[in-house]
Amino acid sequence: METLGKMKWLWIALAAVVMLALPQIVTSSFAIDIFIRILLFSFIGVAWNLMGGYAKQLSLGHAAYFGLGAYTSTIMQVNYGISPWIGMVAGGVVAMLASLPIGWLCFRLRGPYFTIATIATAQVLMLIFLKFRDFAWGAEGTTIPNLGSAPLMMQFEEKSSYYYVVLGLLVVGLWVTHKIEKSWMGYYLVAIGEDEDAAEAIGVNAPKIKRDIYMLSAFLTALAGTFYTQYIYFIDPATAFSFNVSIEAALVSIVGGIGTLWGPVIGTVLLETTSALLQSWLGSSVGGIQLTVYSLILMAVILWRPTGLIGFATDVYHRYARRKPAHA
Amino acid sequence: MLETLAQAVINGLLIGGIYALVSIGVTLIFGVVKIVNFAQGEFVMIGMYISFFLATQFGIDPLVSLVVSMPVLFVAGMLIQHFLIRRVLGPNDMPQIFLTFALSLLLLNLSLMLFTANYRTVHTWYSDEALHFGGLYIPVAKLIAFVVAMGLSALLWVFLHTTDLGKAMRAASQNRDVAMLMGINPNRVFAVAFGTALALAGAAGSLLMPFYSAYPFVGQVFVLMAFVAVVMGTLGNVMGALIASLMMGVAESLGIQFVGADSGLIVVFALLLLTLAFRPSGLGAQRGR
Repeated sequence: METLGKMKWLWIALAAVVMLALPQIVTSSFAIDIFIRILLFSFIGVAWNLMGGYAKQLSLGHAAYFGLGAYTSTIMQVNYGISPWIGMVAGGVVAMLASLPIGWLCFRLRGPYFTIATIATAQVLMLIFLKFRDFAWGAEGTTIPNLGSAPLMMQFEEKSSYYYVVLGLLVVGLWVTHKIEKSWMGYYLVAIGEDEDAAEAIGVNAPKIKRDIYMLSAFLTALAGTFYTQYIYFIDPATAFSFNVSIEAALVSIVGGIGTLWGPVIGTVLLETTSALLQSWLGSSVGGIQLTVYSLILMAVILWRPTGLIGFATDVYHRYARRKPAHA
Repeated sequence: MLETLAQAVINGLLIGGIYALVSIGVTLIFGVVKIVNFAQGEFVMIGMYISFFLATQFGIDPLVSLVVSMPVLFVAGMLIQHFLIRRVLGPNDMPQIFLTFALSLLLLNLSLMLFTANYRTVHTWYSDEALHFGGLYIPVAKLIAFVVAMGLSALLWVFLHTTDLGKAMRAASQNRDVAMLMGINPNRVFAVAFGTALALAGAAGSLLMPFYSAYPFVGQVFVLMAFVAVVMGTLGNVMGALIASLMMGVAESLGIQFVGADSGLIVVFALLLLTLAFRPSGLGAQRGR
């Protein structure tokens, strides 16, 4: 056990060195842009996975919180000059508060109709922000004033700095997930995901657990929204509340391995790499190619390996490991 | 004022007939196969493109092309049920939701690749015609679509209530296990239900073509309406879905008339959320499992 523990820390240290050194070694801005997208969507997937993966509350409306985070920090920054670092946390709190009434409504439904209700809430928020012309710039959106190098305003000259910010977010997300996985909360979530009625029958307070995990998931998703807006220097309702964000959050988790710590990360690496390769082969001129390929991958995973790539890897590992004791 | 109101109600009822075809399909699949078909809107889109190409390539009237789009989609539905949906039926929600969702994404983005995002329209001799009653006017194309939609809904009702297969479908939707015990072949019933639902979506597409533009995202409007109507009309209930769809059409039309041109969807979503807040029982909560 001792050596296993040491090995684990060795791997973590190695991974940390690689991740920290990566943008210094690979300096092409195209590559760093892809790394940032991978880290960002991994983080969003991790946030989604907390609720969608462990408790199987399959939301397709996480764009609601992504957008609320993006708008909260941007409104604070553009209208009041408040740093997005503060705005990011404020956006998280706004998203948490918004998740209470949204959850109150949506958790009345189960299964596919919960999913539909979450889609509707994200759409309603987008429509509301399209209407808020004086408050949030309506459909045109706004650009974020470029201050050059202003780390305190979350603006950097080097792309690699954005990389480190979003890497930090992902580490926080994974750490939170790891802590929850090992806690009572984690077991409650899995119990709810397996069979909500049975979980309640043995004394799990399902409504409260679902509410709490939804708040946490919303909070984390909102942080990603702020980061993304700062990264692209632009916000409008169509990008902030984009259905694609909701889709990708769920997709990366399912493809990678739903309800597992590393699933969303592995899923994002696969999907985003595929997307980047497609783009460099075909150019971005062919609309729809990216999601066509995503949907084919998703179908393949669901039909042949519903536990995702992690499940696939575990099966292969077990097959290999089972053979081992035979000749030992 | 009264006239504006009446006109808005008429417009809403007419488009509500199309929503009904889509919602009845969704509720039929939910009732019998117990899954939600997220791709239902994409089959409306496919129905529209079928009619569009038949009209532009062969000069066939969209209403006539109904006899092509419905059988094509019926067969497509049977195949999809047999080769895809059948493999994910079970207690687990995730594969069911995301399989039809993936299908929706696939069809939408494939059509984006094949047909581009351009709006396609078909102009027929009746596209601009309208009947006038006093100050009210009724566009002929929409009236025909409404009448045919109601006719198809009635046909389905007759089918479900008088034929053996229809009765088997209703039995399966009321209590699947008992129905199976009575010797009903689930695979056959499911395939027919899925095919029928898709044929209705195809019909909706063909009926829309004389007065509505086809584009890859067109189905999303209809599927959202259908979901709301199906939740409001109690899941799995064909008559409930029909009435709720007509109501949705009127609500949307009143929203456009009295709140603002882009407010139709807000009114519809608000209705959904209000229903969930104040009358959740009899909606998804009991049978949603």
